[in-house]
Amino acid sequence: MQHYLLLIISAALVSNVVLMRFLGLCSFMGVTTRVDTALGMGASTTFCITISAMIDWGVDKFLLEPYDLGYLRTVAFILVIAAAVQFTEAVVRKVSPTMFQLLGIYLPLITTNCAVLGVNLLLVEGKMNFIESTVFALASSLGYSLVMVLFAGLRERLALCQVPRLFAGPPIGFITASLLALAFMGFSGMSTN
Amino acid sequence: MREPDSSFPDADEHDLIEGFARVVAVEGGRVWLEPEQTSSCGACSSVGLCSIGKDALTARKLAARRFPLPGDLGLRVGERVVVGVRDDSLVKGAMTAYGVPLLTILAGGIAGQELGHGDAMAALGAFSGLVIGLIVARVLANHLSARGVLSPRFLRRAFDPPSDAECHTDHG
Repeated sequence: MQHYLLLIISAALVSNVVLMRFLGLCSFMGVTTRVDTALGMGASTTFCITISAMIDWGVDKFLLEPYDLGYLRTVAFILVIAAAVQFTEAVVRKVSPTMFQLLGIYLPLITTNCAVLGVNLLLVEGKMNFIESTVFALASSLGYSLVMVLFAGLRERLALCQVPRLFAGPPIGFITASLLALAFMGFSGMSTN
Repeated sequence: MREPDSSFPDADEHDLIEGFARVVAVEGGRVWLEPEQTSSCGACSSVGLCSIGKDALTARKLAARRFPLPGDLGLRVGERVVVGVRDDSLVKGAMTAYGVPLLTILAGGIAGQELGHGDAMAALGAFSGLVIGLIVARVLANHLSARGVLSPRFLRRAFDPPSDAECHTDHG
């Protein structure tokens, strides 16, 4: 149990996918102008990353590794991610059409989110078993969602502040993001991946 | 024409997430709306003019996201309106659609790992958990929909932006 706890802390905080590995920065800057959009994007991405990590683990273990097709890994993973996004879209629509109105708009953005591919490639690098892969993917994506919501909250407050004209908009956003990354560096040393 | 009242009786008690939509049909006492905010930069009120907003989804996908509003609101086809959902609806929706299946995936995977001591059993457990989670999510979603928690409501008419308006996204 301690092993899984350390894995979760490591993936979500110490090696945060956005602020430490610098993945998924386009959605980090683009969808964090409001907390509700950040929350919707974070939840959708969490689901897609976990589903695609489960499938990618099987693809790598039973197809790419045995037949020495490692050079096709990136292409195969992108295909799996696109399929996972389509699957998620179909599932949400089937579960509840009204829920699809609320959450469906974030799904097309996930296909091009490099954090999804990045987490899947990190799983292969880490040579984890199935349950470790699933826990790592879930924790990484929860870390992504946490940072998205934190940053959106900060940007909502910044929108009400008197920011000097030269810093208004994306510049103050980047400065805030760098301060947030420095704060997350405080978790370094708690656990290593 | 009579200005329709907001169909949000408890609007004062909750913060609302607002969005723009356009009336595309009025059939059998129901008004069908098509949402406008479709792109990642959803905070801009001029999103209807912005090329990013227009290119984000195809007409087919937009048509698939049409939703009805009950009651005679006195709206006409082509009118732009502001609709809203309660701020906790998004959290409830996300927890139901994504949170429940993720929890059951994890529970199934751990159970499979403990019972079978192998990756194959863990994978089987996780996929079984996914199926169970989706069924539970559907039941919960139907329950929430029946109570009207997830449904968008009409708030007020929105003014069409002038044709020479520009899209400003430089908010902090």
